[in-house]
Amino acid sequence: MTGYLLRRLPSALGVLLLASFAIFFILRAVPGDPVATLAGSDPSPETVAAIRADLGLDRPVLAQYGTWLADVLRGDLGRSYVIGGEVSELLSQRIGKSVELTIGALVFSLAIGLVLGVLGVTVKNRAGQAVLSAINAISLIVPAYVSGFLLVFLFAITWPVLPPGGHVSVLSDPQIGFQYLLMPALVMALPPAAIVARYVKDGLLQALGEDYTRTAKSLGIPHRRILWRHALPNALPPVLTVLGMLVGTLLGSAVIIEAVFAWPGLGTLAEQAVTRRDYPVIQAVLLFMVAVFVIVQLLTDLAYALIDPRVRLR
Amino acid sequence: MATDVLSAAPSPGPVPAPAHAPGAGPGPAAAAKPRRRIRNRYLRGLMTPRGIIGLALVGVLLGAGLAAPLLTSHDPNFQSADALVGPGSAGHLYGTDEIGRDLLSRLLYSIRTDLMVVLIAVPLGLLIGGALALVAVTHRVADVAVQRLFDLLLSFPSLILGLTVTAIAGFGAGSIVTVIVLIEIPSFGRMLRGAILVHRDREYAVAARIGGAGPLRLLTRHVLPNAADPVVVQVAVAMSVAVILEGAMSFIGIGIRPPDASLGGMLSASRPYLEDHPFYALGPLVVITALVVGLNLIAEALNRGARR
Repeated sequence: MTGYLLRRLPSALGVLLLASFAIFFILRAVPGDPVATLAGSDPSPETVAAIRADLGLDRPVLAQYGTWLADVLRGDLGRSYVIGGEVSELLSQRIGKSVELTIGALVFSLAIGLVLGVLGVTVKNRAGQAVLSAINAISLIVPAYVSGFLLVFLFAITWPVLPPGGHVSVLSDPQIGFQYLLMPALVMALPPAAIVARYVKDGLLQALGEDYTRTAKSLGIPHRRILWRHALPNALPPVLTVLGMLVGTLLGSAVIIEAVFAWPGLGTLAEQAVTRRDYPVIQAVLLFMVAVFVIVQLLTDLAYALIDPRVRLR
Repeated sequence: MATDVLSAAPSPGPVPAPAHAPGAGPGPAAAAKPRRRIRNRYLRGLMTPRGIIGLALVGVLLGAGLAAPLLTSHDPNFQSADALVGPGSAGHLYGTDEIGRDLLSRLLYSIRTDLMVVLIAVPLGLLIGGALALVAVTHRVADVAVQRLFDLLLSFPSLILGLTVTAIAGFGAGSIVTVIVLIEIPSFGRMLRGAILVHRDREYAVAARIGGAGPLRLLTRHVLPNAADPVVVQVAVAMSVAVILEGAMSFIGIGIRPPDASLGGMLSASRPYLEDHPFYALGPLVVITALVVGLNLIAEALNRGARR
């Protein structure tokens, strides 16, 4: 297991380094100068030069990258040009909230996906199947801002049982926090849930066709027990891989869902930083998202190697 | 079996029912009710309830967007003194927004912008993706390079790509088109690359090559027509993805910028008035949903038509 980890680690670190390189250089190569935003209207050349020197923008790009990378490794992400303050502080204020939302969404998508997937196997009549596939299609294709608006309209305005937006930490006040988390996490969970459901259903159908199912049936074990105790555990490993891949999708959809529900997470920060050309913040957020993506991918591979020993040998 | 060929051929009148010939129809019900069969398989797929509903939804909105200047006499950016009036009042069929602009005109012009973005971006993605697929199948080194490029593009979540492109290229329709193209390149490219690799080694392609067909003729007459089905379906799916993305980017304020009208921008502006003026949000919500659902219905209809 350790050997497998050691073999997978360099490529993960390589991707991270490459990504940090790309993010830093592409943002430097573009027209549009942050100094122009900072210096105000019609600045004197001396002011511009002073600001450039102050931000280190007058040095060669490669030297800027080296300094930035060394700082990042020490945990210093620089200072925000526009919002002000340490970038690492801005990030740490937001990360917890984004993690809360993402975990909520993952739990919902797994739960809804499992229920829909199992129903897809157990419901036999045509009408029921039609309803299920309609639910699947709708949760897959309806954009998050549409479902978000509908939920807010229904459950925050017409029948006001939930807050229309904002954030209270689940850790500080579980009950109120959950009320704030419910709608955004649900909206975020819908498309992944449909995908999970498909994988669960396919896995179950395959497992129910296996020899051990036939043996279990011939031993007189009730169908329900075969489904839950024998087929479902065998259908789950592919679902795990899919969940790992879906984290990327969730990071993307977080940007829009945070905007709909006024959730003060990383997505909102990224959007504000892009709108104001705040380079250090954009770099940090993008790098963080790539890092999360790479780490989740690595963890998924490791979990898979734990479940299936054959993977370790490859 | 001759009746099969006859009934499939286009004929001016209703084809006489193939009188109980074995294998002529799927069953007695089909034989009793003669119907002209549509030869083109895509058209046959579209002429099902699913396809017709999809075409109607998209067609009506496309028409409304194209005819926007004819359907409304209000300038979408003109600010009148009547802010947030309800539908039907003060000469505004669908009311006004918070600074007195006519909502119907803004909605119609948004559809126009949206469809323009989609109709430019999706074919462009198909072209570039297809070109890269052709490059990939020529040489092994090129194949590896192209595939890594596809992997790289696929590894970005779409909105993160949207934020990155906007950070580089600035706001506007150009950035949205770029993002959609970048997202569609790998999906079309992978599909075409796979199809070309499969079909160029099939017997009929080998036979054509032995018969003296050059690579271009082989590609255009033998491989591409056989590889077309999934691509045709993917065009409809890609268009719905593009509609969703245009809405999302404009919604968070990195796409079409105010004062220009966009579906996402209208939706985002309507958010504070959801409680007191729900009609404001209703328009863009209905339009986006109808476009997305319509395009997906078309995709599914095409898919079923192609498979039959």
